Amino acid sequence: MEHKPLLEVRHATKEYKRGSRCVRALDDVSFTLQPGEILGIVGESGSGKSTLLRQIVCLEHLDSGELLLDGRDVTHAAPRDVCRRVQLVFQDAAASFDPRRTVRQSLYEPLRLLGGEPDPAARVTELLRQVGVPEELADRRPAQLSGGQCQRMAIARALAARPAALLCDEVTSALDVSAQAQIVRLLASLRAGLGLAIVFVSHDLALVSSLCDRAMVLQGGRCVEQGAANALITNPQEPYTRRLRESVLTLDALRERERKA
Amino acid sequence: MRKMQKRPPTRRARKTRVLVFLVLALLLMAVSLLAPYLAPNDPNATNAAAQNAAPGAAYPLGADRYGRCVLSRVLAGARTSIFSAVALVAVSGIVGSLLGVLCGYYGGVLDSVVMRLADILLAFPQMVLAIAVAGVLGGGLLNAMLALGVTSWTLYARLARSHTMACKAEPFIAAAKLSGCGDARILLCHILPNIAGPLIVNAATQLGTTMIGIAGLSFLGLGVVPPNAEWGSMINEARSYIQLAPWTVLAPAGATVLTVMIFNCLGDAVRDLADESGVA
Repeated sequence: MEHKPLLEVRHATKEYKRGSRCVRALDDVSFTLQPGEILGIVGESGSGKSTLLRQIVCLEHLDSGELLLDGRDVTHAAPRDVCRRVQLVFQDAAASFDPRRTVRQSLYEPLRLLGGEPDPAARVTELLRQVGVPEELADRRPAQLSGGQCQRMAIARALAARPAALLCDEVTSALDVSAQAQIVRLLASLRAGLGLAIVFVSHDLALVSSLCDRAMVLQGGRCVEQGAANALITNPQEPYTRRLRESVLTLDALRERERKA
Repeated sequence: MRKMQKRPPTRRARKTRVLVFLVLALLLMAVSLLAPYLAPNDPNATNAAAQNAAPGAAYPLGADRYGRCVLSRVLAGARTSIFSAVALVAVSGIVGSLLGVLCGYYGGVLDSVVMRLADILLAFPQMVLAIAVAGVLGGGLLNAMLALGVTSWTLYARLARSHTMACKAEPFIAAAKLSGCGDARILLCHILPNIAGPLIVNAATQLGTTMIGIAGLSFLGLGVVPPNAEWGSMINEARSYIQLAPWTVLAPAGATVLTVMIFNCLGDAVRDLADESGVA
């Protein structure tokens, strides 16, 4: 049985001015996100993936189209109005923390401001346990943490608001392979444990197919294909998706190209 | 022969330099605060018998044409010169920085109006505009400070605006919005602490210039009004007697040069330390 969608994006369109011309970053993009579902978004750089996420958390506003959260129109809402239900984890986790504050201070901020936590200190401990980071690391500044640790801290801060959906903007792109696997396992466990819905933006088709239920392919701000993640990656219908898949560099693919050359 | 290359000063050396000039500046401020206790005579007491008296036991730096003790007047003037400059830098720094932060964060009409006003004020040489404003307002320390303050806030506003614009595009500001922060909290708790470094450096380098500005206006008769002691007005009063009693000019001029040098060196040292730390 299909639930009522947690998030619904209808005909999202966004343009930016670049000097005298307009660049359409999003062009009539529509999709839904069900509670507890993991949706992958793939596409090359500049295809509009990050722009789409910034619109969903209301850091920017759509030029046209609608954004429904729990059936409520939040197209023109402020970030404060949606951050209890949907949170964004940034690509550059270290830059998403105030460099002058310790990570613990940054974790306290949503707990204090969004309210509802009787014991913030205990909640910080719980959050750090959830993301698998030793508590003593919370007293460091972001520059004193590794990329993987920072990314986990960023996920912990996003979880502090007890959101129903987590938007992950290329959270594994700056990490080594083992740290990538840890983050993907963490996201899968958060979905299983908390019933979180996740939008997972990535260049890595293998990660998307292993983690996501459904996937969507963006090209030049347009959604060119969406469907079940496994089917979409293994058997793409659109030429662009096929090109994306073929451009993945594996050792076998490299050897094949060298042989052909 | 191998050429010896000059090594850049180490962080420790830069910190030591800041500390040395900070101690000297604090010492000057302490002396100016304790002036009533340190002064050998009443700075405003005249003595017809000691007109233009040379330095001696009763008047260590001599006496002026009214027989007033030059050392006592230099000490009394220190309080006016140093604290008026510090107060002016503090007020114009706070007002300019807040305006700049608001302009940089919100942009729009406020930004256009404030920045165009700053452009207009910066189009005139600062001292010329200050003389014009002081001329309209009349003499007095407060009016001299107002005249200099008319333009001095613009430096802080421009600096704060550009740093705020860079800072607000950082992901941690977006993350703060998603943590439930309102505009006031973002401005006060996230942006201001992160841009405070260059503003403090600017304030430190402006102290000496402001001191010269106040002394300059007083010298022209647009600042502190006699008989109140202030270094600029003391030089102005005594300059006609420079051949007869050079100490009456040399003492306040020396005090001005020494103090401005110490505050300029402090500003330079703070800037060098901040440059190395990537703050400025």
